[in-house]
Amino acid sequence: MRYDERDSLVADPDYGSILSSLLVGPCALEYSKAKAPACFWTDPPADELVQRHRMSAGTTTPPSVRRPILNFRRSLNASSDDSGSVNTGSGKTGGSTAKDYVESLHQNSTATLLYGKNNVRVQPKDVEEPMPGYLSLHQTAAGLVIKWTPNQLMNGYAESEGIDKSVYWAMSLQVCVWEVVYVHVHRSQASDALILVGQDGVQRPPIHFPKGGHLLSFLSNLETGLLPHGQLDPPLWSQRGTGKVFGRGKTRRRPMPSLCESGETEEAEWEEAAGDYVFRIVNNAITDREAMRHSLLERAVASPPRTPRRPLASTSTTSSDSSTMSVDCPPPVGHNGVPPQVPSQPQPIEQPASIELVCSTMRRQIISRAFYGWLAYCRHLSTVRTHLSGLVHPNIVPREGTESGLTEEVWRSMSDERGAVIDKDEVYRLVYYKGVQHEIRREVWPYLLGYYVFGSTAEERTEQDAECRRQYETTMSEWLCVEAIVKQRDREATAASIARLTEASGKPKPVENPEPCEVFEDDCSVISDNPPIVSPEPSETEQKRPETKPVLSRAPSIDEVDNIEMDSEKEKDDTKVNGETETGDSRDIDLDSLKDLDDEEEVHIKSVVENPDLRRESIAEIKRLAEGIVQKGEGRGLLCSVDSANMNLNGSDLRSSIDESQPQQSPHQQHTSVIITNPSVDLAASGSPASGGTTANVSPARSPLGVVREESHSAGASFDTLEPAADQRPEARSNCVSPASSNGGVYSNELVESFALNLHRIEKDVQRCDRNYPFFNDENLDKLRNIMCTYVWEHLDMGYMQGMCDLAAPLLVMMREEASAHALFARLMDRARDNFPSGQAMDAHFADMRSLIQILDCELYELMHAHGDYTHFYFCYRWFLLDFKRELLYQDVFAAWELIWAARHVASEHMVLFIALALLETYRDVILANTMDFTDIIKFFNEMAERHDASGVLALARDLVLQVQTLIENK
Amino acid sequence: MAKTYDYLFKLLLIGDSGVGKTSILFRFSEDAFNISFISTIGIDFKIRTIDLDGKKVKLQIWDTAGQERFRTITTAYYRGSMGIMLVYDVTNEKSFENIKNWIRNIEENASADVEKMILGNKCDLDSKRQVSKERGEQLAIEYQIKFVETSAKDSLNVEYAFFTLARDIKAKMEKKQEASNPAPRTGGHQLRANEQQRKPTSWLSRCSLL
Repeated sequence: MRYDERDSLVADPDYGSILSSLLVGPCALEYSKAKAPACFWTDPPADELVQRHRMSAGTTTPPSVRRPILNFRRSLNASSDDSGSVNTGSGKTGGSTAKDYVESLHQNSTATLLYGKNNVRVQPKDVEEPMPGYLSLHQTAAGLVIKWTPNQLMNGYAESEGIDKSVYWAMSLQVCVWEVVYVHVHRSQASDALILVGQDGVQRPPIHFPKGGHLLSFLSNLETGLLPHGQLDPPLWSQRGTGKVFGRGKTRRRPMPSLCESGETEEAEWEEAAGDYVFRIVNNAITDREAMRHSLLERAVASPPRTPRRPLASTSTTSSDSSTMSVDCPPPVGHNGVPPQVPSQPQPIEQPASIELVCSTMRRQIISRAFYGWLAYCRHLSTVRTHLSGLVHPNIVPREGTESGLTEEVWRSMSDERGAVIDKDEVYRLVYYKGVQHEIRREVWPYLLGYYVFGSTAEERTEQDAECRRQYETTMSEWLCVEAIVKQRDREATAASIARLTEASGKPKPVENPEPCEVFEDDCSVISDNPPIVSPEPSETEQKRPETKPVLSRAPSIDEVDNIEMDSEKEKDDTKVNGETETGDSRDIDLDSLKDLDDEEEVHIKSVVENPDLRRESIAEIKRLAEGIVQKGEGRGLLCSVDSANMNLNGSDLRSSIDESQPQQSPHQQHTSVIITNPSVDLAASGSPASGGTTANVSPARSPLGVVREESHSAGASFDTLEPAADQRPEARSNCVSPASSNGGVYSNELVESFALNLHRIEKDVQRCDRNYPFFNDENLDKLRNIMCTYVWEHLDMGYMQGMCDLAAPLLVMMREEASAHALFARLMDRARDNFPSGQAMDAHFADMRSLIQILDCELYELMHAHGDYTHFYFCYRWFLLDFKRELLYQDVFAAWELIWAARHVASEHMVLFIALALLETYRDVILANTMDFTDIIKFFNEMAERHDASGVLALARDLVLQVQTLIENK
Repeated sequence: MAKTYDYLFKLLLIGDSGVGKTSILFRFSEDAFNISFISTIGIDFKIRTIDLDGKKVKLQIWDTAGQERFRTITTAYYRGSMGIMLVYDVTNEKSFENIKNWIRNIEENASADVEKMILGNKCDLDSKRQVSKERGEQLAIEYQIKFVETSAKDSLNVEYAFFTLARDIKAKMEKKQEASNPAPRTGGHQLRANEQQRKPTSWLSRCSLL
């Protein structure tokens, strides 16, 4: 048993210093302390840990949440139950404690190993021969603990699986030193024995040390370990400092020469050395004087040596011990000069006084403990009030009558003849306590998320849906335009890289002009260096907004999506278009000026869109026309102007026009433009004469503006008419401010870039979102993608963040229809967006979790506190970010989300905290049993994802809320 | 009851989202590939113990979220790591270009002597390739970092990459150890001094070994 081997890497004298330089950051703590011993066996997966726990615990302890425990309770009752007093012979919890026990033998963060010695023999009850085992002395927060473990357990832990070890567990010894009053030492020829006698007068089985000074070494460690709060009486060494020399200077006066010298001069001095000694363990709580007095009582004198191996009867008292097996012991010189006394003489004299003293001490202790208890309780409640009162609602909503939850029947009965549901409190209450029947979730969720207003009639809701759908389509049409641009640029870039790859094989070329990074947002300032090519003055835009209706709009059904995407694919393939979308007011000027500019060709398209179905055709029409134009234009820059001037609100008079002209504009014009740059590589492919030069110049990683300009210039070589346009563009740019948000077809370059960035992220994540669920086939993934793009388009300042897909997916699964799923997602994000890195909510959650754990489960809190790294609570990160979406199965996610939504109105605005706490509490025993640190716990919960007993967790979460509410109420 | 490893190395996987960090890790730790990996949120890690020149080396490999937005969380893990894998996707030009940014990120947040390695993942997708192997090599030379193209799907070079990185870390450690312990005579002395600094209570320990 080499306990020191088990130290962590950092304890290694050589690597320790290297590693200690790495000890910053949460996961670095792995190295900073002696690891919880569990990891030295294996790294059991989470499943196995849970399984082990179930087995060892016999019955799975329900995740009982303790009553709030006064935090300092431990420090006062240092020797109380928590340090695990004596478990000899009981064997009751053998299985569950076995692992703990073995692990507790190692040096770890909570206990320092002061002494370790193997082949120390102990004769347990019912065993005939003393058995060898491992004796260790641990310094814990609660005090010193002496442990002895039979060798069978120490060695055979891994080897002999089949043997029932419970009998050995029953034999193992664990003694808290503060419970021991007397230490008897019996020295004989065969071995040195040590007997501990507890406060209750019960003796522990004798511990036999091999010869060779081990007993002395143990005692000196014990004495050192007792400091500063206690001491051995009489002291092991009468002259501190000088006496602590093993087996030297025989002439020096020491109380126990035999003990001291036995190590080296054993044989020679054995006759003198053999004998018995009694030490008393003195706690400083008792005054020195009293301690001394007591020590005198137990001083034992003059008894012939006898074999100490024989276990003493457990009923024998201290005095009987000392009288039967004491030996001549020189008086302690350093002990105030009190002469040695025969026990029988001082006992009757001293006893009354000492009892009186003990009583008064006890009285004082009782009073002070009571006071501190009260004080702590007050502090505790003040903490509760300060930290937690904001987390729950003060009034407790009764649970009665919610057993069935919100069933379809109940739901129907709640709505009146106009389809209005009035009693929202009852709905929330039912949902909170029992959830919604799955069949009506689609109807109820919009209410829970605040999309439908309680009391709205069926008619109103239908109208709201229609409006929502209309808006959704509008927004979609906006970003679809931009998407087309982005796709085209992507193709360009991709084609260029592939081209370069094939061309310059073997000659890697450093990238001169990197594209704006997708990942590094900080670096995206590159983009802002490229102002929009043409964009309106902001004020104009503002005014136009209300009137502006998008040209392109469509109903969100899948086949249509396909159509459009096919179209846009085609467009990408074939088009060389500089498309310009105008806002209404500028249309006439634009057209006039364009005419003034003497276009060669002009195609004016008008389409009347009266309803969404027609709009869709209009898109197709526009695209078809655009293609035609492209073919006519033969690779020249085209200005595609989509006119939305005369659209009115109900869309009955939508006209859209596509003007083809040269991209020549006057700076004063207020129209805005989308420049769809043609992929130069496509040009190369098409074999147009103008394209040759272009291809050579275009770098794939060029910024979009660069592409446009480049093209203008290169095109200019062929078409002189383009020259002025290229010159004028910078001026046009200079007098406009790019719109940060999306509106009515105003697409600045910056906007396009920003959207492109997000689009790529969205596509990456959508493609891999929940592919294991059959629901997410390509069709539904497209829907999800549309929802994401629409939301991000509306919140381009925030952008897409990983995790949004996860939040939208269950909503889509439930609603099945894009527009309403999007509407609910927007509501959901109102709350959830603060959880994302840009918001502050996550840190607040962590802090709240801390407070809650501190108050509701102080044992767990202490474990976390011991591992300082827990404070980061990063293992909860995903829980909060995704509202447990990845922790639970879909069916359970629905229930959890309903609970969270309803809880806002019933019990707590922060239900997520309580669900998180419930998850933690569910596995608290596993966590505690394995003294998991930060890394263990992350691994554990990541592996346990989607394996939780959700209904149990949610029920526990509600209980926890109630618990906190009760706690606050009872202040 | 011997402990199960001689060294514990903490490694980190970084790179743009979707380059295949999780797949690489999954290939290495479970020797499997799953097309449908969901994006990593927050952090996760996997453990595999490998045998390196007769020593058991436990690798604790941290997988991070790729999106830069989550950098506040992931950079916390830079500092403790002893080795960092920079992953890009050979079918994605941008992810390759961003390697420079990731390296800058490492320089800002990780310890100075952290071992690094560049992985060009998805090299099985040759038809979609945008970044040539030569460019990867060039970049690696530029930064003096080891480089290898991998395929988590075809299990190509993944083992090699982790073993190489682990071996480099181990070599560096042993070198440092020698430097700090030049003469064996004084070794015992230093040992005690170190011990006292590290754990104030450990000098109290007495142990008997038989």
